[in-house]
Amino acid sequence: MHIKNSKRIVALGVLAAISLTGCAAGGSGGSASGDAAACAPSDGKVDLTYTSWIPGIDKVVDIWNKENPDVQVTVQTGPNGNGGTYKNFFNQLSAGNAPDLGQIEYDALPNFRVQDGLTNIASCKNVTESKDDFIDWTWNQVTFGEKDSVYAIPQDTGPMAMYYRKDLFEKAGIPVPTTWDEYAAAAKTIRSQGGYITNFPQNDVNWFAGLVWQADGRWFSNEGDKWDVTLTSPESEKVADYWQGLISTDLVSKVPAWTDEWNNAYNTGSDWTWISAVWGANSISSGAPDTSGNWAVAPMPQWKAGENKAGNWGGSSTAVLKGSKHPYEAAQFALWLNTSDEALTALNKEANLYPATKAGLKLPVLSEGVDFYGGQKIYDTFATAANETNSDFVWGPTMTQTYGDVADGFGEVLGGSGTLTDALKTGQKKTIDALDAAAIPVNK
Amino acid sequence: MTTTSVPRLKARRTPVKHKRAIAIFLAPFAVLFAAFYLLPIGWAIGQSLLVVERDGTFGKPVEVFGGLTQYILVFQNEAFWASVGRVALFGVVQVPVMLGFALVLALLLDSPLVKGKKFFRLAFFVPYAVPGVIAAIMWGYLYSPNLSPFAAFTSGFDLLAPETVLWSIANVVTWVYVGYNMLIIYSALLALPSEIFEAARLDGANQLQIALSIKIPLVMPAIVLTAIFSIIGTLQLLAEPQVFRSFTSSVSSTFTPNIAVYTTSAVPNVSLAAAMSVVLALATFIMSFVFLKFTQRKGDQ
Repeated sequence: MHIKNSKRIVALGVLAAISLTGCAAGGSGGSASGDAAACAPSDGKVDLTYTSWIPGIDKVVDIWNKENPDVQVTVQTGPNGNGGTYKNFFNQLSAGNAPDLGQIEYDALPNFRVQDGLTNIASCKNVTESKDDFIDWTWNQVTFGEKDSVYAIPQDTGPMAMYYRKDLFEKAGIPVPTTWDEYAAAAKTIRSQGGYITNFPQNDVNWFAGLVWQADGRWFSNEGDKWDVTLTSPESEKVADYWQGLISTDLVSKVPAWTDEWNNAYNTGSDWTWISAVWGANSISSGAPDTSGNWAVAPMPQWKAGENKAGNWGGSSTAVLKGSKHPYEAAQFALWLNTSDEALTALNKEANLYPATKAGLKLPVLSEGVDFYGGQKIYDTFATAANETNSDFVWGPTMTQTYGDVADGFGEVLGGSGTLTDALKTGQKKTIDALDAAAIPVNK
Repeated sequence: MTTTSVPRLKARRTPVKHKRAIAIFLAPFAVLFAAFYLLPIGWAIGQSLLVVERDGTFGKPVEVFGGLTQYILVFQNEAFWASVGRVALFGVVQVPVMLGFALVLALLLDSPLVKGKKFFRLAFFVPYAVPGVIAAIMWGYLYSPNLSPFAAFTSGFDLLAPETVLWSIANVVTWVYVGYNMLIIYSALLALPSEIFEAARLDGANQLQIALSIKIPLVMPAIVLTAIFSIIGTLQLLAEPQVFRSFTSSVSSTFTPNIAVYTTSAVPNVSLAAAMSVVLALATFIMSFVFLKFTQRKGDQ
């Protein structure tokens, strides 16, 4: 007996080791990507898992769970994508136990596709047909402009505008800036009164990309068989030079975004504006509760007077991750979550999400005044911005790395060495290196 | 040493009793050791030898054996070596300062002249009981130019600027670990036989002479031990600088070797991250070994 037992234990250990290696090896294999596999409903009751970092998402999913007893969705929440959830997804994908559905921002979709982490749901019922429901540029993001490819369902967008302290601007007699030149002039006046017009956020490189987007710049393109990296395009450098000027003359603060210190700067009125996306409405109202009623929203300042161009910052999609056993049900849930009035209304109520569907822009909840913004119908401004967003912007396949390297350069600028253009140059070089390391063809 | 040969021969002749029992008692350890120590290390080494291949811009990634490609990339990676240089500078300054403090505190606690030893022993040790991340967050607020209770000072002298942030982190690490190292040295002091000190006193030595000429040389092994722990800890700095990234833009994504590994794995470029980890582990091993050899040779002299 003793011998048998000890052998059994050793055997168990060996088994454990083998199964561990087996799991991981299975993860790196997986089925072929690209072709839209047949998408059939599963039999019986289906349990789906969905990972997202939208505040209050569980309440929205509860609505679905009540209506669909046969397809129950369990929500897992995590940190925002670049803050950790993407890393978790990549680890889960290589271990073969990723959730069925995941929230993925548009800028990260190419990365997930390159890592073979997305299921093509083009052949799932109603998916390809829903193309016309969505704002054109968002559909381009989830299909990569290809036929017979749908890798995610667009969820929300982040059309950008300018949040500003209406009361402070009025008190100081500063006109609301409509061009970037006026914005810089306003920055000077505000600085002379002891405040800052805004902060330059080192880590929000996607915010900076939104500004480049507004200036009709592009950071990536994938025409044919190779990627082009153009972080140092003239448009991109124009934006960099502009903000470099504000940083060098101490007209913008260096407080890191998304910190208590940053909230404090808005709450105490030391920062006066924020060029941000529609979802930022939530960030200000929760971070600066003492300033309720004092804010207003105006369109982004323009490069040329009279132009009407907006950038986009963020916005997510709901993707069916590789390895899901129920792509049909997952796709149906994703469609419901991002197109149905009840879900879109709930998402807006919980998290100020701004729908990616054309019909969603006309939701009753989006035509109401918002108390925090002095009763202004702020979504009208964003609806205009959404239609002024250039639809050709393309994200690169290693954005986490690009953001990280550019942010390091931005950090040096805020520390007093180098320029934003230098940071873009370094980012350009390191991005090309990273694509090379991942064996992704790129023009050098 | 002289008696080894005889029992060894004996042991070889007598068959080991209770083989099964030994196997059963060892198995849990062996399995866990293999699963959570050997396997991950082996896995990391294996992963570090792979490179990715694919066809086209969205081709499916395939991992193939790439030999030492990743290691060549590690050695060409300026940011990684800059981070190693940064923690080396950190270690050269912070470790002696911290161990100096720890030694002085331990000697004071051991001195017969000090009252309230129990209180001070606990007071010095308490910071170690604070989790490292919490300590870093707390100090982050103390350093912050706007939110600090000492904002009058921190807004004028930026403790989180690129030139100062490394030493601000050193201060946090020292604060956390000085009590821990003190305790190790102090327990070594307690273990010393009191006759030595009686003899020294009879010979007319004062407390300072006893501390310098008797206590410090006798607890040298404990000091060497704490130094090795500290060197390893320095090379593995992660929590404090990572937390500080949310307080300042001065901590880059490759500030310390471990942060660089973490950043690289998030790309995700797991093979390069694995190669970095292996190089870092080897570097840690070599530095600890060199330090040990160096101090041993000194001790022999």
